Amino acid sequence: METKISPRYTDMITRSLKRRHRKETCLRFFGLTSILFGLAFLVILLGNIANNGLSALLQTYVELEVTVPDSALLDAEGKVSEEVAFDTNWDGLVKKGLRAKFPDASGMRERRALDQLVSANAGFDFKTRILHNPELLNQPLTVWFKTSDEVDQYVKGNMNVSVDESQRRLSDQQLAWIDELAASGLLERRFNTSFFTQADSREPESAGILGAAMGSAMAILVMLVLTLPLAVMSAIYLEYFAKPGRVTDFIEVNINNLAAVPSIVFGLLGLAVFLNFFQMPRSAPLVGGMVLSLMTLPTIIIASRAAIRAVPSSIRDAALGLGASNMQAALDHVLPMAMPGVLTGTIIGVAQALGESAPLLMIGMVAFIVDVPTTVTDPATVMPVQIFIWSNSAERAFYEKASLAILFLVLFLIVMNLTAVLLRRHFERHH
Amino acid sequence: MEKYPNKMTVCDVSVHYGDKRALGGVSLDIPENQIIALIGASGCGKSTFLRCLNRMNDEISGCRVAGEILLDEQNIYAQNVDPVLMRARVGMVFQKPNPFPKSIFDNIAFGPRIHEITQSEAELKDIVHSALERVGMIDEVKNRLGDSAIGLSSGQQQRICIARAVAIAPEGVLMDEPCSALDPIATAKIEGLIEALAADYTIVIVTHSMQQAARISQRSAFFHLGELIEVDGTSKIFTSPNDPRTENYITGRFG
Ligand SMILES: Nc1ncnc2c1ncn2[C@@H]1O[C@H](COP(=O)(O)OP(=O)(O)OP(=O)(O)O)[C@@H](O)[C@H]1O
Ligand SMILES: [Mg+2]
Repeated sequence: METKISPRYTDMITRSLKRRHRKETCLRFFGLTSILFGLAFLVILLGNIANNGLSALLQTYVELEVTVPDSALLDAEGKVSEEVAFDTNWDGLVKKGLRAKFPDASGMRERRALDQLVSANAGFDFKTRILHNPELLNQPLTVWFKTSDEVDQYVKGNMNVSVDESQRRLSDQQLAWIDELAASGLLERRFNTSFFTQADSREPESAGILGAAMGSAMAILVMLVLTLPLAVMSAIYLEYFAKPGRVTDFIEVNINNLAAVPSIVFGLLGLAVFLNFFQMPRSAPLVGGMVLSLMTLPTIIIASRAAIRAVPSSIRDAALGLGASNMQAALDHVLPMAMPGVLTGTIIGVAQALGESAPLLMIGMVAFIVDVPTTVTDPATVMPVQIFIWSNSAERAFYEKASLAILFLVLFLIVMNLTAVLLRRHFERHH
Repeated sequence: MEKYPNKMTVCDVSVHYGDKRALGGVSLDIPENQIIALIGASGCGKSTFLRCLNRMNDEISGCRVAGEILLDEQNIYAQNVDPVLMRARVGMVFQKPNPFPKSIFDNIAFGPRIHEITQSEAELKDIVHSALERVGMIDEVKNRLGDSAIGLSSGQQQRICIARAVAIAPEGVLMDEPCSALDPIATAKIEGLIEALAADYTIVIVTHSMQQAARISQRSAFFHLGELIEVDGTSKIFTSPNDPRTENYITGRFG
């Protein structure tokens, strides 16, 4: 009997196996396709942004000859004086250097057109430089000055010169000058260090990301300091201490609901509570971090609870069986084992917070701020808001900057994720 | 049979999980420095009963315990009793070896540390060493106390768990099928260890192995469907039980 039946089953299984294998191949194909699809879009997106933004790493400079007289910096006693430097017309010095290259330029309008070729901040940058190097006084200097953003865009080929003169930001005369400068090797594209050392500016060539990056970093730091302990403690409480019942259910439902609340609502809450009621400083990373922590708290609590629940109960039993209190069992044994999961949740929260702009707009982190913040109460903006501001600006040069800032933000995220992966490995290895 | 003073006395204990009764009206004496074996078919409430003895049931939501359990004449379910203290006085060893994912040393030092038994590192070392000595492992692991306990064999892990329990010198040790995950050699080692421990501790052990119960215990208690059917000297239970259900179970006719 048995020997008769088994070959028949084998046949059926063989037949069904074929079908199952076909299904599996299909599924694998779909899976692979969707992954490739996703990857392709990522590459296109990043490639496009990089294509737009990487050119902002370079800035066009013009070489001019300038001589700074003693009187520009030294007071009557011959000492370096900031006050004297403040009164000096540094822009004039730079312009003089430029006019020396084009002695033919005459008349108010033509001269002004010529002046527009160098950055409006060139004089200020020059002053800072001379103040730090007073030995450069009273001698002919060859100095590389930033050109204005229009010149920069033209040199980079980002300006459409085929349209009528009135339709573009540089006149034919100005273009001729630029070409002449370029021909005599006085224009050079150099690495734009100030993008990484300065905050926002009205002039695209002087605008930098550091202010926004610091704002973001501080806000995230505040958020982490506030959220992580709170979230972990809440998760432990809910898992191990809360008596099951209506109140616990109510809290649970509300945490889940909070995770789904649109982020702008947290901004409104921050505005009403932190700014209006507690009179905390506007535009400050401190308040930004607090708002972000309200926003990410539910996410991290939920992730932490899942991580804690995934720790085998035998570990907790072992600790309790030795007479450990609930808290000791949780903190000494369960939490370290749950840490990788908690960190994963935290990373998701941080990534979410790092890209968030809406709630921060509500508390004034959208202001135009030219100083790099040094404390959490200084006014600041954050990277996504900075990107938003720049991409809204009229100048083509800001658009380029926005793209570079996006790349910078992505880099920031990659570094953060990497740190998290390393941390997680560290915890996994030790537990 | 020699008369031992009772370490624990269980009076009419019932346990409910939610509305479901898991254990009803159990009364039992647990003599000091003896090994008592709990036997019975799967699901009859042995583990439930064992967990009552050091209030581990408190941690299971929905579990209610009624009745009295006296440890040295004190009701451990009285209002003013701290369950954490009860668990320190009556330790527990589980079915599956569950060492902490930490070093061997830290595993055994955990109890003395949380109970602040000693402040000095040297004394702590002594405690760890003597606990390892008690379970006969000191020579095996002397040179690798810093290694993770997870890297040990399961028999070694179970002995670490026993050493961890005895490191805080409890009065009783509860063991829930401590050998069920082990091979015969590791089982033999642990059985020898349990017998040696009985000199200092009162031991309650749950086991599915009749031979094991017969080999190591002085008294045996037979549970059936949430009730204690019979408790007596082990030799009496295994040779001439009073209740036919006990006899059926022991001779393997059901269960
Ligand atoms: N945490 C729990 N929640 C609800 N019911 C439980 C719980 N633990 C045990 N029970 C129930 O209580 C009864 C006794 O279970 P217990 O674990 O004490 O049996 P046992 O004798 O130890 O069985 P085994 O020999 O298989 O370990 C069973 O019917 C079981 O379904
Ligand atoms: Mg059991």
